[in-house]
Amino acid sequence: MGDEMKLDRNLSGLILERPTGEPVSLADLWRERPVVLVWIRHFG
Amino acid sequence: MRDRLSEIRTAGASLVLIGNGSPDFARAFREDLSLDEDIALLVDPALRSYRAAGMRRGYREVLSPRLATNAWRALRAGHRQGAVQGDPFQLGGVLVIQPGGVVVYRYVSQVAGDRAPFDEILAALAPDSVPLASASEPSALVRLGAEALSKVLDPTILFSFDRTGFARHALGFDSADLERDLTGCRAIVTGANSGIGFETALALADLGAEVVLACRSEVRGQTALETIRERTGNRRVSLERLDVSSLTDVCAFAARQSNERVDILVHNAGILPSERIETPDGFEATFATHVVGPHLLTRLLEPGLDRSDDARVVWVSSGGMYTRKLDLRDLQWERRRYDGVLAYAQTKRMQVVLAQIWAERIGASHTGNSGPCVVSMHPGWADTPSVASALPGFRRVTEAILRTPAEGADTVVWLAVAPREKLEPGGFYFDRKRRTTHLLPWTREQAAEREAFGRLVDRYAARDREKTD
Repeated sequence: MGDEMKLDRNLSGLILERPTGEPVSLADLWRERPVVLVWIRHFG
Repeated sequence: MRDRLSEIRTAGASLVLIGNGSPDFARAFREDLSLDEDIALLVDPALRSYRAAGMRRGYREVLSPRLATNAWRALRAGHRQGAVQGDPFQLGGVLVIQPGGVVVYRYVSQVAGDRAPFDEILAALAPDSVPLASASEPSALVRLGAEALSKVLDPTILFSFDRTGFARHALGFDSADLERDLTGCRAIVTGANSGIGFETALALADLGAEVVLACRSEVRGQTALETIRERTGNRRVSLERLDVSSLTDVCAFAARQSNERVDILVHNAGILPSERIETPDGFEATFATHVVGPHLLTRLLEPGLDRSDDARVVWVSSGGMYTRKLDLRDLQWERRRYDGVLAYAQTKRMQVVLAQIWAERIGASHTGNSGPCVVSMHPGWADTPSVASALPGFRRVTEAILRTPAEGADTVVWLAVAPREKLEPGGFYFDRKRRTTHLLPWTREQAAEREAFGRLVDRYAARDREKTD
């Protein structure tokens, strides 16, 4: 366990928004189930 | 990848896309691709999550010859490039994260248009997937190279205070310094509801410390309290109301702490008003918040600090203090037009001098290193709510290069928990290194000015006694 990659606190502490403006805490995304997070270069 | 959503769903996972364009672009993106509602779409125009996830950015990566083949492949698959939005030089990538924040897969795009192999993503979602190992420490050669580069780039200020400066300086960090269990330690962080104060409190709570969030706004403080408890699972985090610019408030707060031990005291609360504000005690508000209030608080909490074996007092100053000399004329801004930025920088210089004064006084009244270690620091240019509200023009211009609040708080946390032998009492720190307190020769103060300043602040802070007499 000690050698596991720890999530950067910068990342787990971030709050981003949906296009509607609704805030989303990134930490909530993996709280209950796995998540595939994809950072895309651009929309389109 | 959206075509393979069913496989991700079958694996019990969710798919979240993060893009660096505006919400308008994101909405159009969802409509154009008829994205399934199950796929969450988030916008990150400031690229904060890209940076935190370690995604690459650069001209060469985007203009690589491989771009042509990747673009051709995308066209054949039916994708059409829309208008350029966001940061065109930012690359993407993928993380697969299991509950509990365990990273089981990481793909960092190397050139524009490359993609994470889907089979690898799916394999990472298997119940028996193995967590990724932590990255090893940078080699001695990398550290030496980074140090050599810093000697060239640090004098530019821009490439030192910005996020590239943090990334470069961080190559020299000793990760063991923060590997401490702070269970049993008690910390007080002023201005802990947002920005650097919040990140400091979060990090200390994460290390197991009992943390008192000393906040002016109870509403914002309560939100911070709940967030920190939720993220760290640490229930020993509490909220105390404190307007550090008010001597009455400081006295009341200190009275509530009078029987407690204080292991870590972080003077972080700060303001940058655009107009002169006078506190009920008759001080200009910036001076009261950055200087008189924290000085009085330190004095009143001294018994609590003395109860600790290894107490730390950290003054969160600012790189802006480099522009100002300690100046005792018209401290209350009564005889000239008020300039909030100037008042901020002047009082941030005073904090550095006060930390030195406190270190000297404690050194004289304690044997060896038995007293609290008082130090000051500056966080570089961090993207905090205070910067956004007080310096919107500065933030607009520098947004892409600002550090995250956690990066800004890194040295505060380090000063609070690093081995005592690594710290010099009275020292001024930036990115875990002791730094000069003067970049400009004419900003140096005389010993007499420093002594006069110490006496003056003592006198101002003593007004609390007049109130209670």
